[in-house]
Amino acid sequence: MVSSNSDFAPASAGHGRYAPFPVPSGSGVVRVPAGTSLQRVFVFPDMCPDDVPAALVLAQEAKADLVFVVLPGSSARIPLTVDLAGPEAQVRLRGLFLSDGEDEVRITVTVHHRHPHCQSRQLFNGILAGKARGTFHGTVIVAPDAQGTEAYQENHNIILGEAARMETQPVLEIYADDVKCSHGATVGALDENEHFYMRSRGIPEAEARVLQILSFLSPVLDAIPDEEQRAALTARVEEAALRCTGL
Amino acid sequence: MLKVEGLTASAGGKEILRGIDLEIRRGEIHAVMGPNGAGKSTLSAVLAGKPDYEVTGGSVTFLGRDLLAMKPEERSWAGLFLSFQYPVEIPGVSMQNFLKTALAAREKAAGRPPLDAGAFLKRMKEKMALLQMRPEFARRQVNVGFSGGEKKRGEIFQMAMLEPVLSILDETDSGLDVDALKIVADGVNALHTPEKAAIVITHYQKLLEYVKPDIVHVLKAGRIVKTGGEEILERIEKDGFEQF
Repeated sequence: MVSSNSDFAPASAGHGRYAPFPVPSGSGVVRVPAGTSLQRVFVFPDMCPDDVPAALVLAQEAKADLVFVVLPGSSARIPLTVDLAGPEAQVRLRGLFLSDGEDEVRITVTVHHRHPHCQSRQLFNGILAGKARGTFHGTVIVAPDAQGTEAYQENHNIILGEAARMETQPVLEIYADDVKCSHGATVGALDENEHFYMRSRGIPEAEARVLQILSFLSPVLDAIPDEEQRAALTARVEEAALRCTGL
Repeated sequence: MLKVEGLTASAGGKEILRGIDLEIRRGEIHAVMGPNGAGKSTLSAVLAGKPDYEVTGGSVTFLGRDLLAMKPEERSWAGLFLSFQYPVEIPGVSMQNFLKTALAAREKAAGRPPLDAGAFLKRMKEKMALLQMRPEFARRQVNVGFSGGEKKRGEIFQMAMLEPVLSILDETDSGLDVDALKIVADGVNALHTPEKAAIVITHYQKLLEYVKPDIVHVLKAGRIVKTGGEEILERIEKDGFEQF
């Protein structure tokens, strides 16, 4: 049930030829000016879909750090393009989703490295219970001029029960040769050894499952900079996790 | 306290324990020794209730209760503790929160209010001092990035916090250098009282130089083939497990 793949460039060149797409423009595009930082946390179902940018365009040495938290009861669509449109721009995208019932989560992220020495880091961790459906399509494109790129992309998913489904497709298209890129995707179950360890300490089954879910999602929860918001969202995740375990 | 009679167990259809008899009374420290593959870890896992093993026969009574009918957490609440050979990493969960959750669950199961924060911190400080641990240890994520020695000390720290009646130490000495071994052994000795008992499972004799067993068992091919006192350790030291 567990599948994973990851590889470490420079090795895999992109298939076919590099075909640059235009820098995004129009409504829904958030520009991060040179040398500035953007920090945002998006919570579903609290947000209205328009609150989430369709694209981010980062100028030279700009930084963006986005966190997405998708709680049960929301069929979230996150189509996001990140354009690293100046040298040494850095983007960090972290997201978690906890989906249950008939929830459907679609995450489509495209990161375009156009210039040298940019960094992109993506981590999306998801839990799917009930009949939830999820897809993660992540594409990182490294242009021929984008030497010194660092691009990391991770998507890990835990399926609870029989009826939930997850499709994950991380794609790297690399047209430069001096880059550090890796991607990894897994779909699996909660670790039974960890579960037994917790229960052997007197933590009952349901609470142990919740603790396992919190542990799995912690790299994303820990990324929420505001302590109060982090505590509040952790409490909501914990409550939602208990329902998702079905125990 | 613990009575094991004719215990047989298998994993993946393969019989590993082939009839174990063992009786442990309060105040006793038992050593279970044996070569690799003898079933030592299986015995500890079965006593703690690990679901990977199928108990095919026999009985285990712990403080008058049918241990094999109890869930792993119920065994913990009743006073059983297993120190894991390979402690599990739990990213994002601090040792302190892990133990707070464990103790709160036990109090809840007993119908008592949770330990108040002050009492919990006081207990934690005392136990850490006993095991010569730095305070920041409690804030670290459970077993994440721990050295082999830290993991084993972490197990003994959990044991100290949970105050079990019967502790099973599964290969606690593996991966420890002499200094760490001595700290772990001092901890085990300090936690031992006439009301408690321990089973020390080990492949080597190192730990038993510091934690003196009252009774030594030799486990081979799923059976206890020899039971005696410390004199057995000398025989193992001299001629290995072949003689039994």
